[in-house]
Amino acid sequence: MTNSLKLLLAGASALAMTAAAQAETVRIAGWGGAEVAIVNGLLTDVLAEDLKAADIQVTYEPVDGDFSQFIINGLSAGTAPDLFYTDIFWSRSVFAPGQADPVPGDTSAFAPNLVEAFTYDGKVLALPKDFNTLALFYNKDIFDDAGVEYPTDSETWTSLQDKLVAVHTALPDVQGFCVVPDYARFATFALSTGWEPFNAEGKTVLDDNFKRAFAQYTGMIDAGAAVAAADTGQGWTGGCLVNEISAVAIEGAWMLGGIKDSAPNMNYGVTRLPKDETSGQSGNLIFTVGWAVNANSAVKDSAHKLAELLTSEKAQQWVLEQGLALPSRSSLAETDWMKGDAPEQITNRTVFAGLEDGNVEPFFFGDLGGAWMEPINTAINSVILGEADVDTAIATAQARFDELQAN
Amino acid sequence: MATLKQKEQITGWLFVAPFLVSLTLFFLYAAGRTLFFSFTDFDLFKAPAFVGFGNYLRLLSDQLFLTALTNSLSFAVLVTISQTFLALLLAIQVNRAVKGRGVVRTIFYLPSIMSSAAMTLIFLWLFQREGLMTQLVQFVVNNRWYLLVFVGVWVATQLALVLNARRKYEGVSFGDPFFLVFGLFLALLVSFGLSLARVLPVYEEQFLISWLNTQAKFLFMPQTLWSVALMNIFTTVPTLMLLFLAGLQTVPTSLYEAAEIDGANGFQRFRDITIPALAPVTFAVVTLGIIGTLQMFDQVAILGDAAPLQSRITLAFYIYANAFPEGAASRIGMSSAAAVILGVLTLIVVYLQRAFGVKDTVN
Repeated sequence: MTNSLKLLLAGASALAMTAAAQAETVRIAGWGGAEVAIVNGLLTDVLAEDLKAADIQVTYEPVDGDFSQFIINGLSAGTAPDLFYTDIFWSRSVFAPGQADPVPGDTSAFAPNLVEAFTYDGKVLALPKDFNTLALFYNKDIFDDAGVEYPTDSETWTSLQDKLVAVHTALPDVQGFCVVPDYARFATFALSTGWEPFNAEGKTVLDDNFKRAFAQYTGMIDAGAAVAAADTGQGWTGGCLVNEISAVAIEGAWMLGGIKDSAPNMNYGVTRLPKDETSGQSGNLIFTVGWAVNANSAVKDSAHKLAELLTSEKAQQWVLEQGLALPSRSSLAETDWMKGDAPEQITNRTVFAGLEDGNVEPFFFGDLGGAWMEPINTAINSVILGEADVDTAIATAQARFDELQAN
Repeated sequence: MATLKQKEQITGWLFVAPFLVSLTLFFLYAAGRTLFFSFTDFDLFKAPAFVGFGNYLRLLSDQLFLTALTNSLSFAVLVTISQTFLALLLAIQVNRAVKGRGVVRTIFYLPSIMSSAAMTLIFLWLFQREGLMTQLVQFVVNNRWYLLVFVGVWVATQLALVLNARRKYEGVSFGDPFFLVFGLFLALLVSFGLSLARVLPVYEEQFLISWLNTQAKFLFMPQTLWSVALMNIFTTVPTLMLLFLAGLQTVPTSLYEAAEIDGANGFQRFRDITIPALAPVTFAVVTLGIIGTLQMFDQVAILGDAAPLQSRITLAFYIYANAFPEGAASRIGMSSAAAVILGVLTLIVVYLQRAFGVKDTVN
């Protein structure tokens, strides 16, 4: 009896060991903050069965602090995880040196804009997991108190400015909007005029359309419709909104997190971004993050499989219903959840619709990276501070672009 | 059998070994690699390609590098000189106070304990366009007549009382505390009385001073860096004060007494005894100051978008921005070349200040 029991135990443990040996461990990494809860929820809850079926063990290592620095250093040193977040903003620095393994499967189920954003040299190098665009958030109570109508989907920048001036006149303690010297928000003005960041030769030309948008954006302060964010001690337009400093803010779906944290009882609404009068269109930016597989990983196949699981319809549906991020799969644009009337649902629907704005560009600037935004940001800042007029500021920025893009 | 001397040597080396290992790895090896990379074109992924002096030539034609270089040099000169003088003055004051010297020392030392990041964030708030600093300047400028009256009455009373006392008594110092307090109350009374009677004009000007967020230059340095210098001096003077304090306490009091007997006044004693005796400490303070200010990085990084890049960039930040550019490929070659230039510059400046008279031995 004892002998056969021992044999049974030996056999069982041998089986267990071989089963464990077959399961591959995939190291994944993303940034910290709210993302940790999402990924942990997916791994332990939603995808637990699928992971077991695919024999994949996951080690999740969220990184607080500068993620792009962490990943570049890791890839260069050979210690990077097998599967990691890739933000479109710095994706070039991972794709260009061939550090991402091409996605093997079919990507047609994902929104074409997003797949295009992660395509380099004809190959798709990351699976888009979610995205964000910008929308106009407004504080309903402030508009009610001022007796001004809420912004609607059919505003133009001028009609919006008029409403903000009316709000500020009725409530002198409240500003219409907080102007930030940041292309990431100014782009909504610039792109709506039809201006393109890069012309056919890949150069940046600040033409009359750009000047019109620039004058409008920086002129909001003098018109009484806005205040410089720096003068209020806030770093982003959302901060002004949640602290009741401004009536509107231009942010993405991440605004929901900010409202939940700082102003959970705020009565807010969301509309599409205003249009430019002359072109009749609105402009928007696409912020997107994808899962990229390390080209030097020892478990590439499992990593690709895991990426597919993490971006599967089931996973994205779950994330969407938590109100945490917008799905990158086209099919999920039409789910029932998206059609609801709760503020989160309206927000997500509006942000999703931003993909179809007339002039949409990904938040990506080729080889120059973040340095591309610097001349424009400096120009906006110098006009806001009164240190230069619109023409001088634009001329300086153009000279800087010519210098940066000379080679 | 090893001799005693050999044994002592071996023990010495064993004690120093851990430090030597980390010095070799993290300094010598790292410095060697940086020097190597400064002659290559390297982006952390493809193999480094040798480019000779190409990086150095590109640096010299990069406007941003030249701006960073001038900013670093001006910042270093300004802050080192200011903080040395202020630290010495503070140390002398603290050395003099007999009662409560410990408390005064502690209070003066507080700014140095706080983390650089925390201080920068607080100063960011203080230095807003309509922040506390601007309001302070606004108050001083708008109420300048009353402030002048206040200072004038205080100084006048002090002089009058001291000169009067000197007719009868010996050894009444110009800073006599009793007279000071009396003068303070009198000056307050007079200024308040005049302001209540609205005798002098008070202005209502509104100021908007961009301490940080500006591209303007003041004299040889961007305005932003003047504000950062203010903050830097505020946080490093206490530490340097401690060094001077330690130095002051090693000066034998017999020297002072002898000088007093010989008829030297306070200023002469200071100039001919204190300063020469403090030479080694001054050398340490100035050297530390130069090295620290030339390598200033954290405040620039924390300021981030609060100020335009060319108004806050220093050499150390230029090195970092080239090693980890946002969203672009790393330019390790340029970054290493800039780092080599910064290192050589620091060495040159330290040797220069030694050659120009800040001796490290007591005369």
